Amino acid sequence: MERVLAGDVNAFEGIVRRWQGPLVNMAWRYCRDRGRAEEMAQEALVGAWRGLKQWRREGSFSTWLFALAANVFRSELKRFPTVDVSMEDAPEPARAASQEKDLAEHQSSDLVRRAVLALPVRYREPVVLFYFHEMDVSATARSMGMPEGTVKARLARARALLKKRFPQLEDQQAATELTHKEA
Amino acid sequence: MKASATKTDKLDRILSTEGELVPSSGFAASVMDRVREEAAAPKPIPFPWKRALPGMTLAAAGLGWCAVKLAQVGVAEMNALSSARLHLDAGMMRSVESVGWVAAALGVSLLSWLLARRMIGRTGLV
Repeated sequence: MERVLAGDVNAFEGIVRRWQGPLVNMAWRYCRDRGRAEEMAQEALVGAWRGLKQWRREGSFSTWLFALAANVFRSELKRFPTVDVSMEDAPEPARAASQEKDLAEHQSSDLVRRAVLALPVRYREPVVLFYFHEMDVSATARSMGMPEGTVKARLARARALLKKRFPQLEDQQAATELTHKEA
Repeated sequence: MKASATKTDKLDRILSTEGELVPSSGFAASVMDRVREEAAAPKPIPFPWKRALPGMTLAAAGLGWCAVKLAQVGVAEMNALSSARLHLDAGMMRSVESVGWVAAALGVSLLSWLLARRMIGRTGLV
């Protein structure tokens, strides 16, 4: 890191190799388009190179990098929005037939993930980052530069919208809770 | 704060279990190409503050002088208007008042628009 800060371009390659995976995966969750995810991750890494001197060492590098990446992805999607459907138009997963249960389950999970992109922007990003950060509200709040309370409130609203769109998620949750209680 | 295991439901399970995407083989190389281009690009020419400062100071002084003069003229006009006010008929006064209200409403609208933009910019909603 010292070498990078001193202007050694080649030393930056280590940072690129270390963080390329997480950034591409993060970008993928924002747009669900592999090619675009790589472009956005590249922008974020180039932005990191440009702004590395602004990184204050009291915070961890990853926190700074994810916050920068979130900003880059947000601006990129503002410039060229993803072509996505509205929540009402997001297809509802079909009930799983027993013989094709695994496939149907996989497809319905994918539809739920895609429906996240149909959420209003203010709710979409907390959801994307919350699950990217393995359900860590603090990390999500740091990446978004927002208070934890705001993130929690938006997450709750986003979850409510998704469950309203996919009522079977609620049914299965209730069933799971009932099983747990009985056990 | 991590969500507790008891609070996870099907939605959490679906959204937290994503397949890991592996960047394409040339990704790091293409990023490094961009970075090298950036590093090799000549630094932007700094703004010539030393040369521009006298001119900017002069322009600021000129603007200030104009503003003071305008204010003086405005005050004088207002005084003249208030002395002539008694002679204006009621219809004329109503028009002047409505113009004032329109100007005030436009000002308030502009302020609220600027405030809204500023707040949206801070929260990063759009």
